[in-house]
Amino acid sequence: MGDGLRAAWAIAGKDLAIEWRTKTALVSSVAFAVLVLAVLYFARDPTAVGAVDVAPGALWVTFTFAAMIGLNRAFLLERENRALDGILLAPVSPRAVFFGKLAANLVFVGTVELVSLPLFVLFYDVPIVRGLPALLGVTAMATVAFVAVGTLLSSMVVRTRFAELMLPLLLLPFLVPPVVGAVQATARILAERPLSEVQGWLKLLAAFDIVFVTISTLLFEATLEE
Amino acid sequence: MSREKAEALARRGTVLTAVALLALAGVYLRALLFTPIERFQGPAQKIFYVHAPAAWSGLLAFAVTGLLSVLYLWLRDRKVDLVAAASAEVGLAFSVIMLTTGPIWAKPIWGTWWTWDARLTSTLFIFLLFVGYQVLRGAIADPETRARFSAVIGVLGLVLVPFIHMTVYLFRTLHPDPVVMKPGAPSLPGEMQVTLFTSLGVFTLLYLGFLAQRYALAVLRDLKDEEAGRAVS
Amino acid sequence: MPPAEPVLAAREVTRRFGHRRVLAGVSLELRPGDALLLVGPNGAGKTTLLRVLAGLLRAQGGRIERRGDVGMVSHSSMLYDALTARENLRFFARLHGGSSRQRVASLLEQMGLAGRADERVSTFSRGMTQRLAIARALLSDPEILLLDEPLTGLDDASSEQVLGVLGELRARGRALLIASHQLAELMGVVTAVGFLTQGELRAVEPIAGRDLGAITARYREVTGRG
Repeated sequence: MGDGLRAAWAIAGKDLAIEWRTKTALVSSVAFAVLVLAVLYFARDPTAVGAVDVAPGALWVTFTFAAMIGLNRAFLLERENRALDGILLAPVSPRAVFFGKLAANLVFVGTVELVSLPLFVLFYDVPIVRGLPALLGVTAMATVAFVAVGTLLSSMVVRTRFAELMLPLLLLPFLVPPVVGAVQATARILAERPLSEVQGWLKLLAAFDIVFVTISTLLFEATLEE
Repeated sequence: MSREKAEALARRGTVLTAVALLALAGVYLRALLFTPIERFQGPAQKIFYVHAPAAWSGLLAFAVTGLLSVLYLWLRDRKVDLVAAASAEVGLAFSVIMLTTGPIWAKPIWGTWWTWDARLTSTLFIFLLFVGYQVLRGAIADPETRARFSAVIGVLGLVLVPFIHMTVYLFRTLHPDPVVMKPGAPSLPGEMQVTLFTSLGVFTLLYLGFLAQRYALAVLRDLKDEEAGRAVS
Repeated sequence: MPPAEPVLAAREVTRRFGHRRVLAGVSLELRPGDALLLVGPNGAGKTTLLRVLAGLLRAQGGRIERRGDVGMVSHSSMLYDALTARENLRFFARLHGGSSRQRVASLLEQMGLAGRADERVSTFSRGMTQRLAIARALLSDPEILLLDEPLTGLDDASSEQVLGVLGELRARGRALLIASHQLAELMGVVTAVGFLTQGELRAVEPIAGRDLGAITARYREVTGRG
């Protein structure tokens, strides 16, 4: 177990080191997030719909779409020189590889989210301070959900010709439960309602997380070349 | 499976489909002429006898694909993959029927073409998952990889749909729609129930017939490829 | 003295891609100090065989027994272009369970890369990349080393260096399996030659006492081509 964790850590560290060196995906994702936030702000009739009403939806569309841009890089970088073969030749379990990639993806997406959040507050003028811990908690739960499935799917999709298109096509259905839950919870939090009101959604998010992280971990091995 | 067996299966499948289609015509006759017109919904309600069973077949196909996907990952048997894929194609066809008849029924009854209730939304996503499944299969050349990846999606999809159902259910209980409606199978009087259940049975037969034919076709194609492969090497 | 136990044994290994039979019942044995050269026309299945022996592909029929680690050098470098030579080796070393800086440093030294250790692999020539790939394969000091066309694209100096390393490994009792069409260059290093064609290993002949002409003639005889 300790070995696996060490390997996962090494893989995650390596991925992030490489990403940091080029920074292309990170910058693109953040720029994309800013653009989406801005466009969605204007995509309404301001006299009929307040910014704070569209805010939760806008935030989550932004997060998920910006994340999808970054998810494929995790496995694309392994294909370049078949480096993944090098990893698999070492005594590393597929589980460790998955956790390493998942961790790197979570850091990547988390960074995009953290950078976009202040901009979101700025653009949509939402009261965030009191609900911040709850918001961060909900964000973490929903992010784990779609990044776990996204990591699994990207390991398959990078082998196809239209990886950029295939990932959203396959991943979007899996975004429905976590995103709906996150938007509902976010709306309540921004409206400064008590958290007990969103218990149902939080339970759904938690259940989704547990089920899909487990399933993705188990299925990952089947996506490696055999 | 040998060529003879596959061709026999195809024939049996065709017979089954033909029988089911005849029965379907019978069901239509019964529905249109011999089943009473529903008091509140009027003649338009009769499309329900097609819509609901089509949805049932689509759901059945989806479950079969999902369960066979699990089985494939365990056994790694090529035949299991071929049946799963056949079921997915047939399911896709039924889903299309369901998604087109649904709005046609809904408009006169509910006054709207579409509504996001748990059942409809789940079936929409079943359709989308089927599409994704086909697209993924089309994008992979190697049969073994294709089978494995399809199975992964199959399993994921199977687990997802209950969550989608739950999500929309939660969404609706917290946001009740102003329009009063009774989506899905309402409590029907005797005559209508008979028609409905007969239709359900017929559609199940139709599913099995199509599945048998599609699977047989896949096996025959496979055999042809194998012969071609052997000829080259 | 009885011959040592084989460190690598393959028995009737088969492998297909779709309906194409790529390996049709290959059997071979490698003992410590063996260096087997696999020759055969393109498409004979050399690369596939190596990948199956390494454990990167599953054998669909037959069995493979390994007594020891496997290191592999293949067509693709299995390295990360964005990282430096040293970083690459450190990463893979961690996967093998040791982060020994000594080992990494000494391998870099041995492969003549000490001077460029902290430069990115993207700046390396083909010869340097190949040497680094070999260093990577040797990190765990594997009992078995599989090499796919190790001399292709190398200039004379690099070739000499690689041949030197291979000879040394053989002398230390490591088992080598080299797939290559460069029979002439490798004859000095290998102990036997195997002829692979259409997925079948038609013959395995010891080198001892024979010259290039004899081996080539035998190759033509066995495979039915020039």
